[in-house]
This record gives sequence, C-alpha cells and structure tokens, in this order.
Amino acid sequence: MIDHRVRLALSLLFVAIPGLLQAQQPNTGATPARRQSGGAPQTQQGATGADWPSHGGTQLSWRYSALNQISNANVKKMVPVWTFQTGDYSDGLETTPIAIDGVVYISTAYSNVFALDGATGKLIWQYKYQASPQTTGGGLKNNRGVAVAAGKVFVGGRDGNLVALDQKTGREVWKVNSGGNISAAPIVVKNKVIVGGRASRGHVSAYNTETGRLEWRFYAVPGAGEKGNETWEGDSWKYGGGYPWTTGSYDPELNLVYWGTGDASPPFNGTHRQGIDLYGNCVLALDADTGALRWYYQEIPHDTWDFDATWEMVLMDREVRGKMRKLLVQASKSGFTFILDRETGEVLGTYPYVDNINWVKSITQTGELVGRHDVLEGETPWNVCPSNLGGKSWNEIAYSPNTGLIYIPALELCNHILLRQARGTDHGGGTWVFKEPPGHDSAYSHLDALDPVTGKKQWSYPYKFELFASILATAGDLVLTGDPEGYFFALDARTGKKLWSFQTGAPNRGSPVTYMASGRQYFATPSGWTVVGDMTRGVWPETETWRVASTLTVFGLPEESK
Amino acid sequence: MKNRINFIAMILILFTAGFARAQQFPQDQVKRGEEVFTASCTGFCHGDKGTEGGGAPRLAGRGLSAQYIEKVVNYGIPGTPMPAWALKLPQNDTNAVVAYVESLNGLIRTANAARLPALSQEAANGRELFFDSIYDLRRCSNCHEVGGSGVPVTSIVHVPADVSALRNLSTPQVQTATENGKTFPAVMFAQVKEETRVYDLTTGLPVLRVFAPSAIKLTNGNSWQHSAAIKAYSDDELKTILMFLRALQEPQTGGTPDRDAKGSAVEH
Repeated sequence: MIDHRVRLALSLLFVAIPGLLQAQQPNTGATPARRQSGGAPQTQQGATGADWPSHGGTQLSWRYSALNQISNANVKKMVPVWTFQTGDYSDGLETTPIAIDGVVYISTAYSNVFALDGATGKLIWQYKYQASPQTTGGGLKNNRGVAVAAGKVFVGGRDGNLVALDQKTGREVWKVNSGGNISAAPIVVKNKVIVGGRASRGHVSAYNTETGRLEWRFYAVPGAGEKGNETWEGDSWKYGGGYPWTTGSYDPELNLVYWGTGDASPPFNGTHRQGIDLYGNCVLALDADTGALRWYYQEIPHDTWDFDATWEMVLMDREVRGKMRKLLVQASKSGFTFILDRETGEVLGTYPYVDNINWVKSITQTGELVGRHDVLEGETPWNVCPSNLGGKSWNEIAYSPNTGLIYIPALELCNHILLRQARGTDHGGGTWVFKEPPGHDSAYSHLDALDPVTGKKQWSYPYKFELFASILATAGDLVLTGDPEGYFFALDARTGKKLWSFQTGAPNRGSPVTYMASGRQYFATPSGWTVVGDMTRGVWPETETWRVASTLTVFGLPEESK
Repeated sequence: MKNRINFIAMILILFTAGFARAQQFPQDQVKRGEEVFTASCTGFCHGDKGTEGGGAPRLAGRGLSAQYIEKVVNYGIPGTPMPAWALKLPQNDTNAVVAYVESLNGLIRTANAARLPALSQEAANGRELFFDSIYDLRRCSNCHEVGGSGVPVTSIVHVPADVSALRNLSTPQVQTATENGKTFPAVMFAQVKEETRVYDLTTGLPVLRVFAPSAIKLTNGNSWQHSAAIKAYSDDELKTILMFLRALQEPQTGGTPDRDAKGSAVEH
C-alpha cells in the first residue's frame, strides 16, 4: 500500500514537474488516470521523463516524453545547441540515442559507440567496434542503437557480436557472438539483455548482463521435432528466416517480452516452402525469464510479399468496445494496423493505415486475410502495394496519452516483385523494382494522427518523398520527426500544423529523442542517408542528391527563454 | 589424475606443435619474419610464436588479415603499448613480420588471404556443416574461425586423423576459472598488465570476458569435453567436416573463388 501511494505521488509529481524525475523503467503500477476531453482515460506509464532510458523511450515503446519545457507554445524559439559528427560515414546514422543522467549514448552504422555530455556534446568516451575479419549475415551496414543498464552499454554488430561496455569508461566487459547479424538495439529486462537478429534461423536471445552467458533462445524457425516445424514443407524449414531484426517491447506486469518476426526464407518465392511457415511473420509473446512462448499471432501465413511483422509494438491500455484492455498496437509492414490483446494474443481489430493496399482485398476485424493475391512463379510481375519497404519502414511510430493518438509515417510506394527460381543450392527468392501506386504520378508519404483503436484519422501531414525517421511525441503537444531533405521539424500534436523546422544538413533516417540535462530540455536527432533510401531513386530521382552523413544535432530553447 | 592431465597435455602439444605454413608469402620471408618477431616482439610483449602471455594479446590463430597486420605493425595502435615499427625497422623486416604473423593463422584463411582452394562437393558440404546454423549452439564455428568466419577461441592447426580422434580430442587449454568463488571452464585469450581476457565456455556460445587480473584465477584442468561440444554432429557429418579441414591443408594452386556458408560469393 505504501508502495502504491508513493508511486501515485511520484507519478503525479512526474506529470506536474516534468524533468525533475527520471523514468528509468516503465511504471506500470498505480499510475493516475488522466481523462482528456472526449477521450478515454489515459495513463502515463509509458512516458519518459528526464531520461530516454530505453530504445522505445520506455519498454512500452510509446516514443513519448512527459517533458514539456518545450511545447507547441514556444517551440518556434528552439535553436541548435550542439552537433556531433561520428566520423562513421558508411551508411548514415539510424540510431536511437539513449540518455541517462545527462549522458547521451549513440551507435553508428559500424557499431562504434559514443558517450556524450548531453548538455554540451563533449565526448566522454568512444568505443571502436572491431568487426570479425569477414562479417557475414547481411550486406547492409546499419545499427539502430544501444541499450544502457546494469552499469553497461550493450551494442550489437554486423558480425553477430553482442558487446557489453563499461558505462563509465567504454571499455569492453564481455563479448559474445550470437551467430547472426545484429542491427537492432537490445533491451534489458531484469538481469538479461535481449536482442533479435538475422541468423539463418532467426532467434530472439537473452544474455546475462553480468557474464554474457546465453540465458535463453527462442528460434523463429522451429527445429526438427519441435512444435511448428510441421508447418513447413519437408525440409524447407532449413532455409530459415523469420528474422526478428528489430527491437521488441516488454510488459513488466505480465513479464512478457514481445518480438516481431520476419518473413520465411527464401523471401518472395514460396514455391518450395508450402505451409504457413511458423513462426514467420508473427508477433511473439515470450516469458521474459525463460523465453518460453506464451502466445503468438501470425499476421501473414506463408508470406510472398516480404511483409515482416517486425515493426515496433506499442503497449497501451485502452478501451475497446466499452472494456479496458491491455493492447499491443502494431502498424505492420503489410499496411495494416493490428490491435492485439497483449495478454492473450486475441485480435481485437485491424485497419489499413495506407491508401494503397492490393496484396489482399480486405482484412477482417479478427485478422483474416480475404482475397489474397500471392506472388507466384510463372505470373507476370504486377504492382504490389505497399512495397516491400512496407506501409511504413522500420522507423517507429509514437503514441501520446495526452492526445490519445498514434502518429504513423505512412509510405505510399509499390513494387514489382521479380521472382528467382530455385536452382541447385539456391532456394530461389526475388528482387523488386519500386513503382508509383496505381493511378498516381508519384509515390508519396503522409504522417497521420490516428485513434489507435479505431484508426479514425485526426489529421494528416502530406509529404512528397519518403518519411524515414521515427516519430517523437511529447507532453508539450509536439510531434517531431525529420525528412530526407534534411529538415527536422515539429508539428502541433493536435492539429498537425507545422510549427518549426531546422535544416540539419543531411537526410533524417534515425530516431529523435528528448531528455533533460542541467535543467534544460533537449531534442536530439540523427541525420545521414542510407543505402535503403537510395533504393527509391527509381521513383524519386532527387534521392541522388541526398547525402550520406552521420551527425547528431541537438536542440533546446535559448538559455534566457527556457 | 595429475599424470593423466600431463599426458593429455603432451598429446595436445604434439597435436598443435607446428603451424601451417604461410600460403601467400615466400617461406624465406616468413622465416626472416620469425627471427625479427622473436627479437623485437616477444619477451616483453607478445609470447613466443604469437601466443599470449607476454603481456600483449595472442596473435596466433586469430584470422588477422595481412592488411590489418601491416597497418598495426607500421603504425602501431594509438593509446596502447603497441608501437609503430615503420620508423624503427627496415621495411623488408616489417614486411617479413607481416608474413610471419599472417602465417600464424594456421588453417585460417582471412578474407584478404590468397584465393581459397576449390573444394570438392564433399568438402564443400563439410564447410556448410562447420558453420551450419541448424546446429547453432553446437557447431564448430562457435569456437573455431576459418575463412575469417567463426569465433577464434582456439585455432585449428592440425586436422585429427579420424572422427574418433576428433570426438576424443583432449583440450588441456580449457582451464578452470574461479571468479568470486564460482568456477567455469575457460580458455585464456590474452593477459596484459591491467586486464585478463578469457573465453567463458559455460554455454555453447563462448563469451570473451574481461577481468582485472586479481579478479580471476585460472588453474589447469576442467571437465569440459570436446565430444560434448560437437555431439550434435553424426559421425558421417564429422567425416565431411574433416574433409573440409583437410582441403584447407592442401597446397593451393589457385582455384575458383570460394563461397561462404550462406551461399554468397566471398570477395577476395
């Protein structure tokens, strides 16, 4: 009871005086309900405070901060405070900075790690990642961030290593090779650091934070004799796939980690892997202590479009048809948003968040796909919408309990999928050519504010190119993100009106965050273009002029006006 | 018991006594490199024949590329005791040291090494099994690096005669580490003044852990067994893996570019 009252008081203080308290971990205890005008009760348990302690803000992955020193009323005064060039210009900067106690931690495409003074940008330490002589497991060079906990900074690499660094010095504490490729930021749950990656058989793995020893591993492709293996044709399970290549979420009350898995291998060409190919294209709920599968939901059985279910999972408690439910909301690569009960995996609703979807005629509220149009061998390539970049890319959505809305960077882009037949030891696969949506002269994007449960659109911010940076929402009723032309900008969270922007000098393809240092609120955004962005040159020739860079730009109010 | 451990250790010494000859550098250059290395690099820093123990990290069996070695030999590693030798030794000698250190890779072929041998179908199958992710926590590459891939816990310098020898391989380099009163099987990786690095073999994924020298104690002997580490493989599969390793021992006369375990072309 005392704990309850203390937490209630702290939570009220937290909301009242943002920045004075640090939200190190999501508080899922007795947080106060806030009733917005006309909205359902909203809690703040997924909000960050002075720190940005985890990849998704908190492990509920809201990408929402309770800070409001900078708000829709004064954001127009915001100015750049410092920038940091990482010097790793191999493939942009896709990181989500972690901010703890005024120190900002970032990782670069080659998994170099920097600890920076959050107020000044001064380098505290740096770690140069030493990749194995010959890295395997994927050709893309990117890394999307670190996890910081237990006095350590954890970073993965292209060669499959997961490295623990001393948080104060940056010196190696341990290193273990996961056997795949890690581009995602890990999360830390209790004494385990959990990460997914691209191994031949995709897996989510938990390692002891102190020793690096493997604690548990869940395979996205079950081995011979294991449950789910029977869903693959013959030995096709050995082709692997199901890569859980992004970062999951965690509900401490249920003690479940949620991770999304990718499509089965080979991608696109399902000719020789008939069956539903479990656990490809699934949302997994795993016991955080043991890795045991509690439930799964397969969004797309037997995928032939490369619609991974790997996008971020936002955990929120909302009313659905008159009853409060614990939800998992995922704006999936397929162009549909899935609303799941995160206790059971029950599908509570679906809705499209892009204008152009033709790989299926419709989807029911319980997730059944109606009128699939699979990509098949012998068929003339057709214009599949959305493209295999997804209805949105991996860049993450935000959820604001203040407005009760989610903010999705939708991408209206399609592609012709050109299958490669199996031959010899090549199991087949495919490639693609990006195209405009049918009936449109150009591909396009829009950042939308939606009711997360119904999909009802509140406002839409149109954009002519791809929106490839993550979204950030704050209690100052701001929504912030960046565009590939280099602008980092702020919108009013309730109206979508653009309030402020700044040219960062290079395209934005990372995840902005906000934090406090020395009593001042800051926004930090990565910039630098990527190979994946360059792939869209066919539909947006302007891509050619966008620049590789690797810069963190940090903003705040002028000292006199904060 | 002690006699038995000594006996096993002797077998291993015989097993690992020689280093495979360098494939891309002339033998006389490698020989000169060993002389220079022994005179300039061992004793105070590196161990004899590139082993650990002299205060600097082990070099043997790590899959270091000639390009990387050349860079470090010539320019040193800033912030560490490794000096830049470019201004201290004649270029012929630094080149010879590069050739010698590269030769310490044993069977390992780095991405920058000369073209890998063309493999027979069986040997190619062995290569697939060596890295095969189906075996994941029980595959060879979790502890051995070949072709620049895998984890260099120990180097493979000679290939066992048959499957039985492979399964029953003695492993005296696996020691017992004691940390805070708890023990675990470990292989020493490097020991310098301020830190000791060991591979922790507690699980199927070795962890390279860093300790203050006073925080860990290593003693000879451990119940860790190679046969347990590779038990997922059948005898036939191990035979195939041995064929792959033997193919790497063959003198190389060129051949077609090899393919890595995932089926994509290796860039040489």
